[in-house]
Amino acid sequence: MIRSKTPALCAAIALLMSANAFAENLISTEKIEKLFPAESADSVWIDNPFGNIEVVGSDSPGLAITAIKTVTAPDRASLKDGSEQTVVSFEGDRNVRLIRTILPRVHNGPWASSVSYTLRVPRTVHVKIASRIASRIRVANINGNVTVNMFSGAIILDGVAGASIINTTNGKVLYVYRQKPSTNAQIQAVNADIDVVVPPDANFNWIADTLRGDVVTNLPVRAEFLGSAFRGTVNAPGGPTIAMQTLLGNIRILGAGLDTRLVQSVRESVTEPPQRPVTMQSLLMRPAKRIQLPISGGPFDFSASIADVEVGEVRGWAHVQTAAGEIKLGIVYGDCTVTSNGGPLDLGDIMGTVMASTDAGDVLVRSARMGGKVSTAGGIIRVLYTGGPLTLQSGGGDITVRQAAGSINAETRSGDINLTADPLQRTQHIQAHTLQGNIILNVSPHFGAEIDATVLTSRPDANAIRSDFNGLTIKRDQVGSKTRIHATGKLNGGGDRVELFAEEGDIHISNVATSPVTVMSPP
Amino acid sequence: MSECDFMRENMPLLLTESLDPARRELTHQHIERCAACSDEWAGYRETWQFLGALPEVEPPAALKTRFLASFGGNVEPIRLPKRSHKRWLAQAAAVVLVASGAFYAGHRSKPIELKEQPASLNSYSIAESRVLPARLVSPNIEGRPDIENVSFVDSNPSDPDIGLSFDITSHVTVTGRPTDKSMVRLLRYVLENKNRAASPSRSRAIDWVRTLYSRPENAEPEIAEALANVLRNDSHEGVRIKAVETLNRMPGGASADTRGALIEALKSDPNPAVRIKAVEALANLARSGATFDSATLDTLRQKAVQGDENVYVRVKAAEALSSIHP
Repeated sequence: MIRSKTPALCAAIALLMSANAFAENLISTEKIEKLFPAESADSVWIDNPFGNIEVVGSDSPGLAITAIKTVTAPDRASLKDGSEQTVVSFEGDRNVRLIRTILPRVHNGPWASSVSYTLRVPRTVHVKIASRIASRIRVANINGNVTVNMFSGAIILDGVAGASIINTTNGKVLYVYRQKPSTNAQIQAVNADIDVVVPPDANFNWIADTLRGDVVTNLPVRAEFLGSAFRGTVNAPGGPTIAMQTLLGNIRILGAGLDTRLVQSVRESVTEPPQRPVTMQSLLMRPAKRIQLPISGGPFDFSASIADVEVGEVRGWAHVQTAAGEIKLGIVYGDCTVTSNGGPLDLGDIMGTVMASTDAGDVLVRSARMGGKVSTAGGIIRVLYTGGPLTLQSGGGDITVRQAAGSINAETRSGDINLTADPLQRTQHIQAHTLQGNIILNVSPHFGAEIDATVLTSRPDANAIRSDFNGLTIKRDQVGSKTRIHATGKLNGGGDRVELFAEEGDIHISNVATSPVTVMSPP
Repeated sequence: MSECDFMRENMPLLLTESLDPARRELTHQHIERCAACSDEWAGYRETWQFLGALPEVEPPAALKTRFLASFGGNVEPIRLPKRSHKRWLAQAAAVVLVASGAFYAGHRSKPIELKEQPASLNSYSIAESRVLPARLVSPNIEGRPDIENVSFVDSNPSDPDIGLSFDITSHVTVTGRPTDKSMVRLLRYVLENKNRAASPSRSRAIDWVRTLYSRPENAEPEIAEALANVLRNDSHEGVRIKAVETLNRMPGGASADTRGALIEALKSDPNPAVRIKAVEALANLARSGATFDSATLDTLRQKAVQGDENVYVRVKAAEALSSIHP
């Protein structure tokens, strides 16, 4: 076996060397060893921005440190510069021993450096590690407390019996308990997966919280979900608490030696089908999903905690509900109800009534043939065509309707409202209200309406009501510190009521002859 | 001499662009707050424009003699629209020019020259001109002019030139390349000047800027800076949404200032749509390989784990973090 591997190994080394030669990078390594033989420090702190760290507890006294400094640079001068500016420092006293890599706050030279540390420490010591990037940070056989803060990389805690706090952003966390957990552990991550291995008979309280990932175990668990957070007990109640939170990663607790095929999703097993109306809490209990379907042969009913949903065609009604994500539906042959607690909505040709709402994000509706209601707590609403009465509400953002063949009720807290009436409409009821912005109403030359338009402004010289039609009477009066400009009158002899209200903006009633939008009929 | 008298003495020089920037600013400010001087100034301007419109012909000597002689008797008044005092102004215009020259001579070592100036970079100021090529407009906008009714013109898409029209003391159209410094400065002024330029103008300006400056060949750091300032300071949520959306489409990466504005918006903008677009912009930057400082990373991380934040914002913050390699 060994003989057969040797040529491959040589080839790999040669390849690496040639790659290095081609890259024209020079590499220097420096080994630094430090021994504190009589050390019985309470705590060891390691601050190393770039590079691996391994801390192993032992029964022998003293502190042994090996640091390997590696500098890469394209030329010798930079290599020297990088080597000089990467300083390994040993500080502190018998209580707290601080080992750190000192790098310049800003370095402009074309070099990169990292330091790998290997520490042998007394088993009882408390360990604190700060790192930005490392392939691996491993802490093993430690009875003291362990704290690890890092941005990206794998964190392995093996046989750590003391309390532990792990804080990371990307990478992976693996925590292996050699004995039953007896102290609390808290692991917080953003994108990292968290795996914990415990003796199969361990008892502890388990808190797991992940927004997009799953929570799985092969241990007996009594659990309940509260939103995205899972709270339960493993085996018997009592014991320490192990809390794990990762936003987008998965959480796993496995019993050592147990069959991994028994692993099941806790979220799936405890989740009930959501009742309508679904609360945010119950929605977050649903697993996250990603749906991409060209065609749904019948009605489409979908709910998930976090989901990006894209369906080209729904041959029936559609009901979609998510806690967050982007929702995109093409053609919907029936009514369409879409609710998101955050994320943009992109709806195509909706044959039935559309009811679309999001707590944050833009909404685009290409065609709402029967009208409906569209709302966002903050974002831009664009509707290309509506064939029925449509209500539009934005907590802040523009509202645009390119062609309205039904009545419109549009309201935004801040933003412009731009409405264009269907050129074939002789009259229609329109209401538009913006607390900070302009209103532009485009109607055909023959459009009849009873206009009631108001501008409330602190800049009466700048804001105005303009109309391309004759017949409006405009009055100005003072309301507190603001000027109210009020226009009333009939367009083309009158028609349905058109109420427009703009604060700190203009109103423009425009006479435009536009071609109607062509909405493709279903095949 | 009262302040008004002093300012009125400045008006002829203001008309001829002969005041130094400090006095020019002072005079403009006085005109803005003094109704009487404002009226006086309006009269000056109308007369000046009227005179500018007249053909410059040398009258025959006999006519000149008859005209001067008629000053002593019945003079046919020059009919000007609206204002009664324009008659006086029209007659006095020539005197004004002489007086301004004399005034200037009395205060300066060198008399000003009103005519025969060759076209140069700073030969026009937007405050007084009407139709101008951008190359002739000074990129330094002085006196905080109150500009209104801003519109954008791109009459020939195949021609790289664009136009920016607005009302100032007269209707002005400045034409030029999107990258002309004066054009950039004007747009920046329109975008940033929330107290002066009405919000309709700013809203439209951002739409226009998005179309124009998202093209890589028109990349302009000053426009990005202006949008960043709008994002930071504008009270109009709709405008802020447009600003952050436009920033997201700006080519050529983001400056530290732009990133700072995005981070501030993500941290504290009350409108969730602004926060979403800010975090999306940061995520785009991260995907394109931009490096972030530790404060930015902290903010993204705090957002990702902030329980009361919109879940979509949290997820996007986490996704941005997953693309970052510090």
